[in-house]
Amino acid sequence: MERSYDVVVVGAGPAGSVAAQAAASGGASVLMLERRREIGVPVQCGEALSEDVLKEMKLKPDPSWAVNPTNSVKIVSPSGIAVRISERRVTGKVGYILNRKVFDKYLAIRAAEAGADIRVGTYVYGLVVRDGRVCGVRARGVDGDFEVEAKVVIAADGVGSRVARWAGMNTAIKLDDFESGVQFQMVGVDFESPSMLEFYLSSRIAPGGYAWVFPKGEHMANVGLGVLGSRAERRAIDYLRDFVARMPGLARGKVVEINAGGIPVGGPLKQTVKGNVVLVGDAARQVNALTGGGIDSAMRAGQIAGEVVADAIREGDVSEKRLREYERRWREKMGKSHEKYLKAKNVLLGLSDQELDQLAETLSRVDFERISLTDMLRALIKSHPKLLWKLRGLV
Amino acid sequence: MKVDQNLCLRCGGCVGVCPFDAIEATDGSVGPNQRCTDCGICGKVCPVGAIRVGKKL
Repeated sequence: MERSYDVVVVGAGPAGSVAAQAAASGGASVLMLERRREIGVPVQCGEALSEDVLKEMKLKPDPSWAVNPTNSVKIVSPSGIAVRISERRVTGKVGYILNRKVFDKYLAIRAAEAGADIRVGTYVYGLVVRDGRVCGVRARGVDGDFEVEAKVVIAADGVGSRVARWAGMNTAIKLDDFESGVQFQMVGVDFESPSMLEFYLSSRIAPGGYAWVFPKGEHMANVGLGVLGSRAERRAIDYLRDFVARMPGLARGKVVEINAGGIPVGGPLKQTVKGNVVLVGDAARQVNALTGGGIDSAMRAGQIAGEVVADAIREGDVSEKRLREYERRWREKMGKSHEKYLKAKNVLLGLSDQELDQLAETLSRVDFERISLTDMLRALIKSHPKLLWKLRGLV
Repeated sequence: MKVDQNLCLRCGGCVGVCPFDAIEATDGSVGPNQRCTDCGICGKVCPVGAIRVGKKL
């Protein structure tokens, strides 16, 4: 490890590894630091990913980490009305359930092969600041404390990003914008179809969030839920135990792994570049507020960040003005979508269980092979004019 | 506050919601630093209830 690099990336999750790979491929010297001793462990994720981001980044799904292909979705209302949507027919998208223990390592390997240095078991505990400018990071590794100089710091340190705080770009997440997520990886479970993702909406099952069953293999599934910080009255794990106990296909399964994660659902931060510090992934709160999914945004943002940072370094200009190309490009690519997801989430949070049942009742009669998402929303509003006011932001 | 290291699943949620940047989450352990005021917000979000809030712990 050198004492000085062009770029230090804090965090080796999908955002960090993709940023490190892109920056290194662009000619920058890169050091990626990961506080855990093992990349990808523990899993803090439902592990569902759409295929489109893999195609976009030219990553060929490998069975070692794309362990189960999915092509349909079932959304179940509080009283049990199921709406089934076949993704292949409606949106043309398919996806995979990942094994993130392998996937995260795969992305880190790509970064290493592009030339990035990696240090695991290394916790960044501060920034080196001189004359009001960030010059590097202070870290604690296996061999003790050290400092590394960097022209640019890419913060990919997750939902609890401290680098973002130290750089003055975020504040504590509000309970209203935070989901406590917990998940059981279970064996010996039954589900409707191995290629169908299941989502359960109910203020009793998961207040302010939803429960999921994501099949991972033969009688194996990720079973979890997220509860909104401002609505949960018990621990997330208590809600999950109740959910599993009440589901006939899950109640007799066995738990082989417990995962937990915090999910920001307030939409991306307003500012993701300050000085020479760039935020990517959950650290930038680039998470789909409706689904809680963040891997795709993390990878897209990481790619842009790595490219822009490498270009800026090559040009000898790492001013905030130059680095703001990252901000412009990721908002151009994903900004509008994230705004829509945030709106949709707020609409959903404003619906009672009864209203959700009414909507599900209407949707369960819709033929999704022949209808677009916009048509679906119009049909909903037509049959539920009282809900028009609540759904207005979505069309 | 105090974190039960056996129960803690290192999700980082507490770090994210702490208004005072008072939680350090290394690979080995999660715990408060001197800025902790025992406000209790972290305890509210812990998915597994690994946090006990209260002074004199």
